[in-house]
Amino acid sequence: MTSLPTYIDETDLHALVDGELDPDHRRRVEDHLLINPADAMLVETWRRQNAALRAAFEPIALETPPLSLRTAATRAATQTPGPIETGATHWGRPGATPRPRRIEDLRVRQRRQAMLISALLLVSGLALAGLAAFVFASGRSAAPPGPVVGAFTQGYVSRAGLTYATYTVDAHPVEFDAARRDELADRLKTRVGFSRIPDLSTLNLHLLGGRIVPGASGPAGFLIYERADGGRIGLYFERAVFAVAPPAPKGGFGVTAIEWRAADFAFVLVGPLPPDAMQEAAERAAAQVAAQVAAPTP
Amino acid sequence: MRLNSEILAALSEATPGLRRYARAIGAGAAAAVADGLVQSALQSVGARLYARELRPAGPEEARLESYIALTALAARKSLDAPPPGPRHPPIVHGLAALPFEERAVLLLISLEGFGYDAVARIVGAPRDNVMEWLRRARRSLSGDVPATQSADTPRPHPQAPHLRIVK
Repeated sequence: MTSLPTYIDETDLHALVDGELDPDHRRRVEDHLLINPADAMLVETWRRQNAALRAAFEPIALETPPLSLRTAATRAATQTPGPIETGATHWGRPGATPRPRRIEDLRVRQRRQAMLISALLLVSGLALAGLAAFVFASGRSAAPPGPVVGAFTQGYVSRAGLTYATYTVDAHPVEFDAARRDELADRLKTRVGFSRIPDLSTLNLHLLGGRIVPGASGPAGFLIYERADGGRIGLYFERAVFAVAPPAPKGGFGVTAIEWRAADFAFVLVGPLPPDAMQEAAERAAAQVAAQVAAPTP
Repeated sequence: MRLNSEILAALSEATPGLRRYARAIGAGAAAAVADGLVQSALQSVGARLYARELRPAGPEEARLESYIALTALAARKSLDAPPPGPRHPPIVHGLAALPFEERAVLLLISLEGFGYDAVARIVGAPRDNVMEWLRRARRSLSGDVPATQSADTPRPHPQAPHLRIVK
């Protein structure tokens, strides 16, 4: 090595070749090279070395790298835990090269979609089953046998009230008046099956007549009694389908209804009289019906 | 896991330079061997990224990490490298005769354009060592073997590159 000034050493020459100097320092080193040809030769030699190295290996960098190298980091960073760092060429080793990422992604996506669809189907099926169970249970609980009978028994009173409201105010309230009592009895016997007409004249209730009316479960008989003041009460009777104890007297809309059972028939007495009078009339009628049942007509 | 696509793109862009460096540090080794080294290095970096052992600050840092991995792999592999054939230029024969550290430092600086500090980090040595290895490498390649060299470390004769220390 040739003699160098104290402030320029070989490290500075290397730094000059490698571009590691700041501009000021670089200028001083270049000035030094101008007066030291031997050092300048050294620098030139190193530059030639660099050029020779680049000439020998630069073409490799200009090649297009194999796909496996271009994607090696990406594949390792996203899928495999990493290679065995033995330095061996293991890129052909089974398992070292993972399957292409797109296929794997596709499979994962398909799996997720299948799971989502299964979950949705399961949830919708459960919802449908729950809805069906709810509807079935509510449908069953809505139709117990008791209320049906109640509706029927309620039906006699309602039917009697409806019949009373329909015919007692009519211009022709009866089909057969009291003068055609026998004819009325025959008709009632034929259609309703009960032809015994109570006599309530002791209660100042005179028979106005009677008619066949539609009942809750078949033809019914309807007798109308009239008081001297024009007040009318109706006796409705129909063959009882259900043997249920008669309910207590019901009031409403200005009339009172009393229901009782006798000889498989349901009787309802409907009228605007006070409850006591209605009760008395009902008891009288019931007694006469029971008596006539006990002593059948010839 | 979300990997920075910028980092992965930087690694992909560094691949041509890595291949060049791998071929050079193998001193004319077979292309398949050099590419195998590059692949191992890239996969190593990718796996460390995946495991979050490695968190490069930017693309340049990621590129540096790939050179660190490749240099470490090449250091283990260098003893098995065959000598360059007669078709290789003289500079390759000169490279093959250099100790691994000198060869790596010279190539990283002259061929790959790294600064001295970056090279010190890649080879994992202080900067003074890097400068010393660079001096020795350039002297050896220019045939100017300094007197201190024979006293420091025994080296294969420059005229007989096929004789190598194997242990």
